[in-house]
Amino acid sequence: MSAISNILTIARYESKVVWRNWFFRIVSLAGIGFVVIFNLAIFSEIDQPRRFELSNSWMMPYTTMVMISIAQAAAVVFLATGLIKKDKKLDTNEVFFARPISNLDYVLGKALALFNLFFWLNLLLLCIPLVVNLTNPNTAFNPLAFVIYPLLTSLPSVVFTTGIAFLFVTILRNQPITIVLLLGLSAVELIYYFDKFSYILDFMAFRLPMFASEMTGFAHLDSALWQRAFYLVAGVAFLFLTAFFLDRLASHKTTKLVTGLVGLLLVGVASFIMLHLLDMRQTPIALRQDMIAVNGQWAEVPNVDILTHHIQLQQVEDKLVSTSTLTVKNNHSEPLNGFYFTLNPDLGISSFTVNDRSVAFERHLQVISAGNTLQPGEEATVKIDYQGTIWESVAHLEVDQERYETPKEYLMFSLPKKYAFLQSDYVLLTTDVLWYPDTQIGYSREAPRKERTAFIDFQLEVKAKDGQTAVSQGELITEGNVFRFQPEYPLPKISLAIGTYEKKEIIVDSVTYSLYHYPDDDYMSEHLSQLTDTLSLLIRDIVNEYEDGQKISYPFRRLQFVETPLLFTAYDKVYESQQAYVQPETVYWPEEGGEIREFDFRRQLKDMDEQAKRDNQVLSDKEKQANVFNDLIKKVFTKQSGTVWYYGGRNEDQPDYSLFPHLYSYNSGVVSQDWPLLNRSISSFLRKDQQVENDYSRNMNGISFEEECNELLRTTMINEILTNETDFNKISKSVSLKGQYLFAYLGQLLGQDEFKGFVQNWVNSHQHKLTTYDDFRVALQQRFGLDIDPVIRQVYFSTAQPAFEIADVQKFEVLDGDRKRYQVLLDIKNTGGNDGVIEIKFNADDGGNDNQFSRRRENQLVKEDVPGYLSVIKVGEAKQLGFVLDEKPDKITINTLISRNIPSVITMSTGIFSPRKLTTLFEGERVLPPTEATSQSEVIVDNEDPGFSTFSPVEPTYLRAYLDSKSPSDQKYFGSWHRSRSKWRATTGSSFYGKSVRSAHFTRSGNGDKLATWEAKLPDEGFYDVYVYMMGKNQNEFNGRDDDNRQFDYDYTIHHSDGADDIKFNISKAEFGWNYLGSYYFGQNGGKVIVSDKSEFGTVYADAVKWVKQ
Amino acid sequence: MNIEIRGLSKIYPNGHAAIRNVDLDIGSGMFGLLGPNGAGKSSFMRTLVTLQSATSGSILIEGMDINEHRQKIRAMIGYLPQDFTFFSKLKTWEFLDYAARLATNLKKKERLIKVDHLLDQVGLLDVRERMANKLSGGMKRRLGIAQALIGDPKLLVIDEPTTGLDPEERIRFRNILSDLSQKDVTIILSTHIVGDISSTCHNMAMLNKGEVAFKGSPEGMIDQVRGHVWQVTLGDEEFTAIKNKYSVVSTIPVEGQWEAQLIATDQPHPKAKTVNPNLEHAYVYFMENQLGVSLV
Repeated sequence: MSAISNILTIARYESKVVWRNWFFRIVSLAGIGFVVIFNLAIFSEIDQPRRFELSNSWMMPYTTMVMISIAQAAAVVFLATGLIKKDKKLDTNEVFFARPISNLDYVLGKALALFNLFFWLNLLLLCIPLVVNLTNPNTAFNPLAFVIYPLLTSLPSVVFTTGIAFLFVTILRNQPITIVLLLGLSAVELIYYFDKFSYILDFMAFRLPMFASEMTGFAHLDSALWQRAFYLVAGVAFLFLTAFFLDRLASHKTTKLVTGLVGLLLVGVASFIMLHLLDMRQTPIALRQDMIAVNGQWAEVPNVDILTHHIQLQQVEDKLVSTSTLTVKNNHSEPLNGFYFTLNPDLGISSFTVNDRSVAFERHLQVISAGNTLQPGEEATVKIDYQGTIWESVAHLEVDQERYETPKEYLMFSLPKKYAFLQSDYVLLTTDVLWYPDTQIGYSREAPRKERTAFIDFQLEVKAKDGQTAVSQGELITEGNVFRFQPEYPLPKISLAIGTYEKKEIIVDSVTYSLYHYPDDDYMSEHLSQLTDTLSLLIRDIVNEYEDGQKISYPFRRLQFVETPLLFTAYDKVYESQQAYVQPETVYWPEEGGEIREFDFRRQLKDMDEQAKRDNQVLSDKEKQANVFNDLIKKVFTKQSGTVWYYGGRNEDQPDYSLFPHLYSYNSGVVSQDWPLLNRSISSFLRKDQQVENDYSRNMNGISFEEECNELLRTTMINEILTNETDFNKISKSVSLKGQYLFAYLGQLLGQDEFKGFVQNWVNSHQHKLTTYDDFRVALQQRFGLDIDPVIRQVYFSTAQPAFEIADVQKFEVLDGDRKRYQVLLDIKNTGGNDGVIEIKFNADDGGNDNQFSRRRENQLVKEDVPGYLSVIKVGEAKQLGFVLDEKPDKITINTLISRNIPSVITMSTGIFSPRKLTTLFEGERVLPPTEATSQSEVIVDNEDPGFSTFSPVEPTYLRAYLDSKSPSDQKYFGSWHRSRSKWRATTGSSFYGKSVRSAHFTRSGNGDKLATWEAKLPDEGFYDVYVYMMGKNQNEFNGRDDDNRQFDYDYTIHHSDGADDIKFNISKAEFGWNYLGSYYFGQNGGKVIVSDKSEFGTVYADAVKWVKQ
Repeated sequence: MNIEIRGLSKIYPNGHAAIRNVDLDIGSGMFGLLGPNGAGKSSFMRTLVTLQSATSGSILIEGMDINEHRQKIRAMIGYLPQDFTFFSKLKTWEFLDYAARLATNLKKKERLIKVDHLLDQVGLLDVRERMANKLSGGMKRRLGIAQALIGDPKLLVIDEPTTGLDPEERIRFRNILSDLSQKDVTIILSTHIVGDISSTCHNMAMLNKGEVAFKGSPEGMIDQVRGHVWQVTLGDEEFTAIKNKYSVVSTIPVEGQWEAQLIATDQPHPKAKTVNPNLEHAYVYFMENQLGVSLV
């Protein structure tokens, strides 16, 4: 009997045995049911699927494979251990042990039995997406995807799991222990390690980035293949070792020895693969560190400036062959003993000439240096021939390793990240990968703030492959497959895309707008077909609105929207206000619109139909299409409408396709060696998005992300935050907070509108070039008579922060002749450690009314942005701010910018305006004289005060304790979305009472065991009115939303001189602010108010109690 | 077929010596291995069919050492273990076919014919589609003998085949074995039921505490007890006295008295007469008198 025949025999019958196993059948049925429901729900036309779910033809089979991966591995563990375990119990198996088969035949046969079943199960499961795919006319069918993904995911995963389960159960000789051990290991791997070390440990391929682009296919497939190979080989090795350790006499000692040796050899091969994987991961990490070090060595070395740069590039398969001809100039006052360029280290240099003479050059990774001396003002012509491939890992050096390794999220997949493409069918190059020589030195720890120094006259000549189209900046002249790009003005950088693009273009007001897309991705024509004749009008409106809003005119002759592969990735930067998705004259939009909802025209049109139906509107197709177009441009590219919800505390990069860098960063700039953050601050100062951003960090963490950063800025100076290992999102937020504060401060000093107007004019009059900080400073001084340098110094170097107390808010409705006017008086005191600026706005749109799930409304109104009123309040100073308004405001927003205040932005509803006879209306601000402390007749105990205490006798169950313990214990405030079951916890918000910190305690309602107590020492005996501070209607928001008029109570107990009174207080009718509980006589021992956690309402809040002497 | 066993010992890791220094020569035909429970029969047989290795000593089958030629020897063996009851979920014919595929090189068609032929031979053809684990105890055992025979083994090792079978099944089983022993097959049959051996085996050995207590033919063993088996009919009082003194093999109440057969070296009672011994008498005699084991 041959071994193969034995193995096949065993496999055949053991398959039958497993197939008849109820566990396998139930698991399979559950899997099939789940996959059917999922595929119908997500990919079929039953519920109109979103575009990004259908657009990529690799997605459907891959989704199914990823979804079953974990359950499949668990099922294999159960079944595999069962297959081997049974040998201990079933005597009938002994008759097979006495047969002339080898141990390896036996083990491989059993393994094959399992593989066989899972093969058919996978095939069956894949038929589900296949049927959905073939029957849905809106999906593309990609047969290859149905073959490749099971091979990449299921095959190695099943082999590995079988191998390890066989081996463990053979060695441990106990099925339950083996199952617990393996499932435990898998769980630990899944919870803690699967995304570490570039997904090397992700044996199930649950998150291993293997998603392919329709435009460019797989990316970084080599590392995924090596990873899968490791698990495949390791699995087979474990099978051999199982045969070695099997509790059955081997056919012969030699056979056993050979089996063991082959097992070991395979373990060796697997180890080699693992080492290779680690090396593959380590090589770019090391390269990046080396490059950062090289940057550090060169950062302060003076260099020439590039005046003109002519690049001739030819694409040869996955290589480029280029010649750069540069005019360089020594702009320093000293002679230069040499100069240098940066270039991707994988591009080899074949010739380097200066003024037509070949010169010797040195190369340190990305830096190429030549020793030619250049006198001040002297120019030279440098010609460099270079060719080769591109190392992508040179891109975005400032991005730390963790961020760099974290894959992009897409539906349920992690996408491999690409920073550049140079493959025979597609090219995408940005300066991040140094594809042409430049004098700019990138990120280094020693000099993290080194900025770009030049706008250059570029010319680019690209020889593409036949049938391919090149896209870059500048006027395009095409001769056959040669594309010449000649920008009409200097640019800070150029980029290049080559692919089988189709182009649509329209000229509006002498600017050429073009759309480059792949042939299959022509959704414009498909869904916006009726816009042909109105497109130019639509564009003009959008452009006018945008330019009017920003007060800066679009500086380029063209704007091109270029489709790029889904995997192309960019990052937020500290010193730049733009991401690589936006290049001069160019926006790289993601393949087929990616996950951007506004690109999903079909769905948008449908949503609009539904919305119109609800609003009883009748819209023509043309109107609808125009709305969809407007929506896309305004929400995604100009950011002039829409609402965004995000979690600021999450450390991740959100793509930003805003066109604003065209107006500022790629157009102008203020260069300062001393204040490197200034340029970015100017950019954010000028950029005026109308998009409302809602951060739900407070609901998660108890304080907003901004307040978290304020706290950081109190303890750490901004330049330390930049160089410390701070989370990137905190760096970014801190930098923008500082910028915001600086410009608010300057705006208050110089006049808000005048100052902004000055900066806008400065940009408009310095287009296509950089200006120096010194020039900017002098011009400001001339115009306003103020040197901004000390202000900047003070803002950047100080950590002390103001704290604002809103001492009093007065609101009157005043009859002025026959018209009503509204007077608001705010008394605000700065009790903090530094002068501060506050900004007051009325009726600011905080997006609170725009539900994140609501679809767009037709003709969404862009609100005129009323600039806020800024006021500087010095340390210890109290000011009264007076506002006279023609319309009754609904709410007041007080933005305390950088301060100790929590919340830092206080939004209060104005409530009732009491009528007054005409008095003198006060508009403006005045300093208030110092006043006595709080009134003697009033005692307030806040939850932040010592008189407040909580009592939580609830012994947490294991589940409660686990759920509660998910928040770190040193946290002071907790998000309202995490109501504790056993404790009172503090949270913050505008609706709570407080001086600079507005907080309240809250707990999940219970049976009355958890208590919160306010205890006051009262100055005098007597009758006091007792009030409690309520959120008002906000507290009852669920009630309001459900509109079922349910009434909820809180249980208060008031301890007074005559005993104690229980009060059921109806919170559903409470007003925002102080609510009257009752009047009682309190003796010298003072009084006590207790609230229990008993309420029908889900949450009980305990904020502040006030005693007012009658 | 010739099996030569020399100095065979098996000591388990817990120190229990299951087989001690066994020397045996087994030729063709049916060989019976008799012994009480725990005598080491199963250990001996498992060692013989290569399921476990001996601690010391050697087994040569047809001159081949079983440690060196395990694969060849496994190809010659048919084995039916003691507890043949727990099956994985396979049908009767599938179970047999599974064994057939591992034991023979037959083409599918021939193999299936053979499977059905064997099923017929052991009377299981009617239940060929039934799940093996749903068969009755006797049927399972017959299926067991069928799978042991499927590869036309030269050596058939059968461990306690009749335990738990009803008399009819037992007779049927013995008949199957008798038929087989007519062919050129060595059958080693272990049992603690004396009748199994006396009716079928020409050669036998008796194991006790892992050692060979007797080897030879059943007749040879019976010869050794000739003259020591007595029959006597007694009243209650005398019977009680004699019962306490001698090993009583059987007792039948006859007309208000006890007709007892007992083993004794000398005449135990004046009325006692010798009778012709059988293997059961020999077994008791051996156990009691030679080995000092109290059976009765």
